[in-house]
Amino acid sequence: MKKLLVSALALFLSIGVFAQEAKKSVLPDNISVKTLDGKTVQTSAFNNDGKPYILSFWATWCKPCLRELNTIKEVYEEWQEETGVKIIAVSIDDARGASRVKPLVNGSGWEYEVYIDQNQDLKRAMNVVNVPHTFIINGNGEIVWQHTSFVEGSEEELIELVKKVMNGEDISESK
Amino acid sequence: MKRLFLLLLVVAVTIELQAQNLGGGQVTGNFQIDAQLSRQDSSIGAEDVPQKLLSNVFANLLYTNGGFSAGIRFESYLDPLLGFNSQYKGAGIANKFMSYQGDMFEITAGNFYEQYGSGLIFRSYEDRNLGLDNAMMGVNVKIRPMDGIIIKTMVGKQRYYWDYGKGLVRGIDGEFSLNSIIKKFEESKTRVTLGAGFVSKYEEDQTILAPTDGFKLNLPLNVGAGSFRMDLAHGNWGLQAEYAIKSQDPNVLNNYIYKGGNALFVSASYSQKGLGINLQAKRIDNMGFKSERSLAGEMLYINYIPAMSKQHTYALMALYPAITQVNGEMGIQADVTYSIKKGTLLGGKYGTTLKMNYSQIMSIDKQPLEGSTTIGEMGTNGYTSNFFKVGDELYYQDFNVEISKKLSKKSKLALTYAYIAFNPIMENEHGDIHYNNVVVADYTYKMNSKNVLRGELQWLKSNIEYFDEDKRSGDWLMALVEWNFTSAFFLSVSDQYNYNGSKEHYYNVSVGYTHNTTRLQIGYGKQRKGLLCIGGVCREVPASNGLMISLTSSF
Repeated sequence: MKKLLVSALALFLSIGVFAQEAKKSVLPDNISVKTLDGKTVQTSAFNNDGKPYILSFWATWCKPCLRELNTIKEVYEEWQEETGVKIIAVSIDDARGASRVKPLVNGSGWEYEVYIDQNQDLKRAMNVVNVPHTFIINGNGEIVWQHTSFVEGSEEELIELVKKVMNGEDISESK
Repeated sequence: MKRLFLLLLVVAVTIELQAQNLGGGQVTGNFQIDAQLSRQDSSIGAEDVPQKLLSNVFANLLYTNGGFSAGIRFESYLDPLLGFNSQYKGAGIANKFMSYQGDMFEITAGNFYEQYGSGLIFRSYEDRNLGLDNAMMGVNVKIRPMDGIIIKTMVGKQRYYWDYGKGLVRGIDGEFSLNSIIKKFEESKTRVTLGAGFVSKYEEDQTILAPTDGFKLNLPLNVGAGSFRMDLAHGNWGLQAEYAIKSQDPNVLNNYIYKGGNALFVSASYSQKGLGINLQAKRIDNMGFKSERSLAGEMLYINYIPAMSKQHTYALMALYPAITQVNGEMGIQADVTYSIKKGTLLGGKYGTTLKMNYSQIMSIDKQPLEGSTTIGEMGTNGYTSNFFKVGDELYYQDFNVEISKKLSKKSKLALTYAYIAFNPIMENEHGDIHYNNVVVADYTYKMNSKNVLRGELQWLKSNIEYFDEDKRSGDWLMALVEWNFTSAFFLSVSDQYNYNGSKEHYYNVSVGYTHNTTRLQIGYGKQRKGLLCIGGVCREVPASNGLMISLTSSF
């Protein structure tokens, strides 16, 4: 009986270990980015009170990025009311575009949380090759989904996925 | 006894689990493969490619575990794509680093990318599409002694294709957020960040003879550059400024003159919901700063000076891009974004967005030295310059307006007009200034939730008659149609037609497939010879005719 218990325990623990290994990538928490007011913050400050959030890399010169953020603007209030999701938009603009980021964000009426990653430290740490590159991060800071490129209509897929994450579904294999 | 055994087992397994966590970490990465098949096409100037197939490959592997991270990047250019420098030819580990971050410090050994302030004195960065990588090889340390203070210091050499430049680059930079340092201002609406940096380059002596008297130039082995910057924010207002100076640095860019360099960059902005205004001004005087004094070209720059104009993305608007003149330029830029509310006369049912941008870049004032008639003579102090006087040569001017509007639930329209004046001297070419009028209509139609059609019509009218060598002058028309099936698949067909000029058609067909972070794109068609520019830095792309395949993925 005790042998059985021990074996069961060992089995349970190995499953634990196995699960540990299959763990999802987490958001790097020690990268510095700047707020639109020039304040340096660490990515450990990225959160949505335990709820999932969308992390989107963009640039002022990237047309599909602007289309994505403008399209979501139209439905953002609705999304927030329905799901409580938040969008963190990280600009990878260098010195040429960085000072245009804040006026563009406000002028476009975006209500997102926006940061500037001028040295592209976060972009490199998250293996972003091209923008737009969009991530869904769950309440534990794990990357549960990511996608590059944007076309009108894919914002609907995005919010459906966020809803699934909220319900605790595993979306790592869904498109 | 058995209970003890069980307890021990649990303890042992727990420790093992803990160790697993410590030893586990995570591995992520990305890769990019670009391959090109091009054939000879004399009508557009495409050269024969004897290898037939060319390819560039990048693969990054990144390991992180708590505060520790390490990474390597494999690159191969077998042989490099058209337009990439042939010195890239080869394959190997191009980039490797280890980094550890504690609570108050971070140290990186190996390759690193860093910038001080806006980059006027130091920026090491990579732009794969430009074939540009000036990664540092050395040590970079960041210290955060308290909240609001960041001190950075580094030493290293810069990447030069598969080697490193001869110059040794060292630097230190401090950034101070007064609101975090002075507790009284913690909650203040006014945010003040100050910064200062210093970078020095050491390079061995070499023999460079002055042409007039044949004497060997007495070259400074150490060249220093320093900058001071501030960032003020008060509610809707913002002001950023950076001023940099550089010591005597005779180099191939400035024709070996002994004049010091300086640069000023100022940006002011006001924004509220629905309105954003940004005004910028800059002045650059002799600020070409490289870690090898006798190397021309775009490699081994220690600093970065962006072009002060909007970066256009529509093909014909980007035909004549602004190129930074490190030896001297003065520029201004104004940028406005305005959203007209929904339900108003102009706003319509869904609202309208207006964007306006104006930039003008001029030469700086340059006067010959006393007793001399030439400007910038080798081995002398070069010239004198009145800081506040604008030079009389126009380099670049761009006025553009964009109106974008959602017409219905299914359709969107964006109309853009640009007036662009371009002086070929920016490309070291002689000739008259090109004055171009460009109009672009960009229409998106959402057929249903899965199918989206997008079309572009572009027209460029130039004042310059077509001349054969450049394959660019004259008037152009362009049309593009793109069909997207969700975000997974797209097909696009386009043609750029130099109707008043070479009469050449540059057609292109592309298909693309994206699944999560994996993207495959295949294009077939003709590529015009020209400049690919990002951030004022440009690469010459030769003409090509053939197939281009690109695969990117990250995990």
